[in-house]
Amino acid sequence: MTALRFAAVAGSGLAMALAGLRWLRVAQREHYLAGAAGRFAWRWWSEGPLAIGGVALALAGVGLAWPWPGAGLATAVVVGAGPPGLGLRGRTAPLAWTRRLRTLAALVTGLELIGLATAVLAGVGPVLAAALALAVPLLVDLGCAITGPFERAAAQGHVNRAAERLRRVAPTVVAITGSYGKTGTKTYLAHLLSGSRSVLASPASFNNRAGLARAVNENLVEGTEVFVAEMGTYGPGEIAELCSWLVPDIAVITAIGPVHLERFGSEQQIVEAKAEILEKAGRAVLNVGDPRLEALAQSGEQRGQKVRRVRPLLPGDGPDLAAGLVAVRDDLDGLTLFIDGAEQARLAPGPHPANLACAVGVALELGIPVEEIVRRVGQLPPVPHRLEPLTADGGFLVLDDTYNANPSGARAALQALKRSGPTTGRRVVVTPGMVELGARQAEENALFGQAAALVADELVVVGLTNRRALLRGARTAAAGDRQRPFDVVVVRDRSEAVAWVRAHLGPDDTVLYENDLPDHYP
Amino acid sequence: MNAPPAAVAVVFGGPSPEHDVSILTGLQVARTLAGAGREVFGLYWSKTGGWYRLPAGLEAADFLDGVPSAAEELRLSVGGAAGSSGFAERGGRLGRNRPVEIEVAVNCCHGGPGEDGSLQAVFDLAGINYTGPGVAGAALGMDKLAFAGLVVDAGLPALARRLLGPSTSDPGFPGPYILKPRFGGSSLGIDVVADIGTAVARLEANSHLRQGAVIEPYRPDLFDLNIAVRLWPAPALSAIERPLRSTASAEILGYADKYVGAEGMASAPRELPARLAAPLAEAIRSAALEIARLACVRGVARIDFLSDGQSWFVNEVNTVPGSLARYLWVEPPVSFLELIDALLDEARQRPTWRPNAMGADGSVLRGAGGIAGKLG
Repeated sequence: MTALRFAAVAGSGLAMALAGLRWLRVAQREHYLAGAAGRFAWRWWSEGPLAIGGVALALAGVGLAWPWPGAGLATAVVVGAGPPGLGLRGRTAPLAWTRRLRTLAALVTGLELIGLATAVLAGVGPVLAAALALAVPLLVDLGCAITGPFERAAAQGHVNRAAERLRRVAPTVVAITGSYGKTGTKTYLAHLLSGSRSVLASPASFNNRAGLARAVNENLVEGTEVFVAEMGTYGPGEIAELCSWLVPDIAVITAIGPVHLERFGSEQQIVEAKAEILEKAGRAVLNVGDPRLEALAQSGEQRGQKVRRVRPLLPGDGPDLAAGLVAVRDDLDGLTLFIDGAEQARLAPGPHPANLACAVGVALELGIPVEEIVRRVGQLPPVPHRLEPLTADGGFLVLDDTYNANPSGARAALQALKRSGPTTGRRVVVTPGMVELGARQAEENALFGQAAALVADELVVVGLTNRRALLRGARTAAAGDRQRPFDVVVVRDRSEAVAWVRAHLGPDDTVLYENDLPDHYP
Repeated sequence: MNAPPAAVAVVFGGPSPEHDVSILTGLQVARTLAGAGREVFGLYWSKTGGWYRLPAGLEAADFLDGVPSAAEELRLSVGGAAGSSGFAERGGRLGRNRPVEIEVAVNCCHGGPGEDGSLQAVFDLAGINYTGPGVAGAALGMDKLAFAGLVVDAGLPALARRLLGPSTSDPGFPGPYILKPRFGGSSLGIDVVADIGTAVARLEANSHLRQGAVIEPYRPDLFDLNIAVRLWPAPALSAIERPLRSTASAEILGYADKYVGAEGMASAPRELPARLAAPLAEAIRSAALEIARLACVRGVARIDFLSDGQSWFVNEVNTVPGSLARYLWVEPPVSFLELIDALLDEARQRPTWRPNAMGADGSVLRGAGGIAGKLG
């Protein structure tokens, strides 16, 4: 082996180590789902001329390494440097060396070493080493696919313990799912119940199998009467599995929307995955504002399930008189709560109507008297990071909606921005756009950009992920007959956006932070 | 191999609504002792009852997702052969547990077991020396009805407080009323109602009241006055504090008002020392000392009064107050380390429990004959 061949193989090996760290972090952020690293690699390497140029150079390096082994070094340099903007350690979420990550890292390193050794022994060292370096995201995905079943088996012990604890404490289990509105509904429900019941709500980030098992094992104190569990899903069968040991007494579906669409394929599949929550529940609370959930309500009733229908109403809608229905009407200057068609309370604007309707529906199912609900509904707590109003040091108002990632919530946020702050002040929207909307992502972001341009004086577009779509939408609106001047600012990442806001806003101004993407997104 | 030297253990957490507040108190105490070079470790009681030894230097955020990952599980046992009571860790020879020696446990558990006598009972039986109230003092402080009875019996002023039951038709004073759980150290489950009918209905609907409820006149005109007291090394009183309600609409000083600040009440809005007429301040100070003796105060207790600026009423005693009420000791100033050192000293010098088997010398048994004969 010549020195050049050796250098090419060694360089590729080093590049693999660096790329390994980078894509392991992405895998960790994406819950170790096989396929995520590859998908994100595609996203990063196809954004911007620098990345595309880099990947072209790396591919050329692989091809040219056959006649000229030294060309493999070009691939190694590109892979080692990584796509521009994707840091090695990460700012928002550094790599955490958990046991699971260490296992995965060891496996991926093993796969890489086997690949390298095979390549060298077969006499195609430089070419295959360069190709392997470029393929590290796929190796990480392969590692996730291999370790997945073992990890599930290992977590079974925690799940068994949780199931045992649930049997012993025997709380009434309220399970909430939905494409959005889960956390809001859970927060409102916990508030409505807390005056009369000892209630435990699962933490927002604990909405999968491992997280809910942990929430039960660590937080389900003896004497807890109601356990409110938020159930998330990334694919079919997941909620059914959760419900096999965390059996809901009352199941709630808040909304169906295009969230995680690229993992599900279609909205119909999302409906089916969410409907798994109803299978074992004796009672259901459904937001029948969505006809697909009304269909689930009817099929539930045919099976003998007790269904409580709830829905949001639009301004000007009359109260819906269906017996048992809980409706919350958005009157723009406030909300009106109807139960059985009778007006029960008027509230200040802020709470999300559909989420509140779901929470009130569950509270009624749990036997909380209407007077008690009405009394507590006037003091609903803000949901953290969901349009939570804060005053910044600079005196301007901040609407923190950074945990919102769905089109309908984003539109509601713009309405809130329109209502907030004095009319003389400026209104600014800061957003990286929304993700995981599949084929509809560009269109939804363009629509949001357009809607933002009609409400805001400035739109600050963060990062590359949705830049084009947001700008296109904003331009469509700006081309129309706007009364006010409108500006678009483009920044690279969140910290640049925050710096821009601090430098440009003062008292009377309002900024809406709409969604936030962790830094493994371009 | 010799056992490691006994250290001070700071005990916090526990299955209580004030679990999180207790973490803050415990971390402050541990940090203060470690800063003074003492041999100390954190002993965390999880919400579901597990015990864990903690490494030094943890922050509140380390508890956000539950038990910190670096925590090491311990076992607490009572009874058995000599020396097997108390805390133990795994890893002894032949797979046996190795005892974890504790010189004194600083009890920082608020609001539930730990402030109600149950943890104290286990520590007494396990032979663990601890700070703060003993079984009787803690249990009394947690029973609002018994405490009020004691206060009234001593001739001190208190608002009327009666047991509320399903058949209560007239508590003997007019509404509006405030309902409170009879047992419990937090403001969870407190209700304000207009009439006795609603009060009885709430008793049914509000499960926080299920273990017993007391009813009192609701007096929004009164404000809170708090004072800390300790009896060791000598009886001493802190300054009097007047907590301010953060929102005009808040009907009573709620859990959020008390604890959402980062250090128990240290950062809640308040007036300290409270600006009070001299006779009122003096009356409260002397009542606080009397209550400390009546209610078996050990460690630092916070006694809460109600007042309209002229008249005053004893409200309740907190036998393990948030932050151990350290922020109240401003006049004269007492440092937190001084305060904790006094607690440790008291724990060493003033045992909580003296088991006594005098007279159980077998004479009764010898004269008893057969059990069957006693039954016949």
